[in-house]
Amino acid sequence: MSGGAFEHLKALVVEDNQHMRILLRSLLNALGIANVFEATNGEDAFVLLRDKQPDLVLSDLSMTPMDGIAFAREVRTSMSSPNPYIPIIMVTGHTERHRIEAARDAGVTEVLAKPVTAGNLFQRIGEIVDRPRAYVRCLHYFGPDRRRHAIENYGGPFRRREDFENDLAVR
Amino acid sequence: MSKSVADAEVVPASMIPPLLSEARSRQAMSQLKNGETLAKANRMLALKSGEMRGAVLALVGQVEREAAGGDWPAVQATSHEIRGLAGSAGLDATGRIANVLYQYLDAMAGRKAAPDAAIGGLHIDALLRSAGTARDAAQHGDAVARELSLLVARKLAEIKK
Repeated sequence: MSGGAFEHLKALVVEDNQHMRILLRSLLNALGIANVFEATNGEDAFVLLRDKQPDLVLSDLSMTPMDGIAFAREVRTSMSSPNPYIPIIMVTGHTERHRIEAARDAGVTEVLAKPVTAGNLFQRIGEIVDRPRAYVRCLHYFGPDRRRHAIENYGGPFRRREDFENDLAVR
Repeated sequence: MSKSVADAEVVPASMIPPLLSEARSRQAMSQLKNGETLAKANRMLALKSGEMRGAVLALVGQVEREAAGGDWPAVQATSHEIRGLAGSAGLDATGRIANVLYQYLDAMAGRKAAPDAAIGGLHIDALLRSAGTARDAAQHGDAVARELSLLVARKLAEIKK
């Protein structure tokens, strides 16, 4: 049976709850992704990332010994990371603003709040397929561009504080 | 080729290996928008819902024992598990009540204050009732979650004063 567009993809699910792993695997299977690897924490996931070379990661946030934030940061910035550009969807019940910002600042591509629904997961995967993002490297960050809404033909000044200060100094 | 903006290096999306080829991406988007794929996924979820419900009930039993022992960090961790799983088990009200309990315990931990056992107990009772039967949850669970949320907000406001 053909799995359609997704049949050749490999996914890695990083989640310490067995039931949630089963659920995510089922949803990915429904989409046609048959190759789904599983890890229960960030450390094991990093090993699988090297060994199995998945194309997409779905990761929980709270796990021990390495949580989803540390894992995402490791994937993006470690010298031994096999694929710093891999899309990472953070699947989490922690929807508090500071945690979402921490995930974003670790280089997560998309955040999916629990409870997970098929529609929400497919929407996030659709974003990755249809609207791939530029990556940004600066002193304290490497990952997808955190500015989601770029204004085309923007003619105004840059938005960083130092740009503003430089602009004032020139005037 | 990447370009520099101030102190940041930008790698354009076109330079990053895509998840799917262009042709497959088009096929993928039509597949994702196809109601049949969503229906298939929902059927798969429905098949798992009994298993998920069993897991939530086990967690509710666990959180009851943890609360009885006064182990609030464990209660917080388990209520987090419940809020993540309950919605997928069709126990939406249970998930919402667990969420209120989690947020209360998180706020108390943030203030380095001991949780009020009576408030914890009210949440545990509500969790047990809402997870007991789907009908009970549907009839009473949402209202209970709202009332508990108000109670927690009042208590936290009192502590702030």
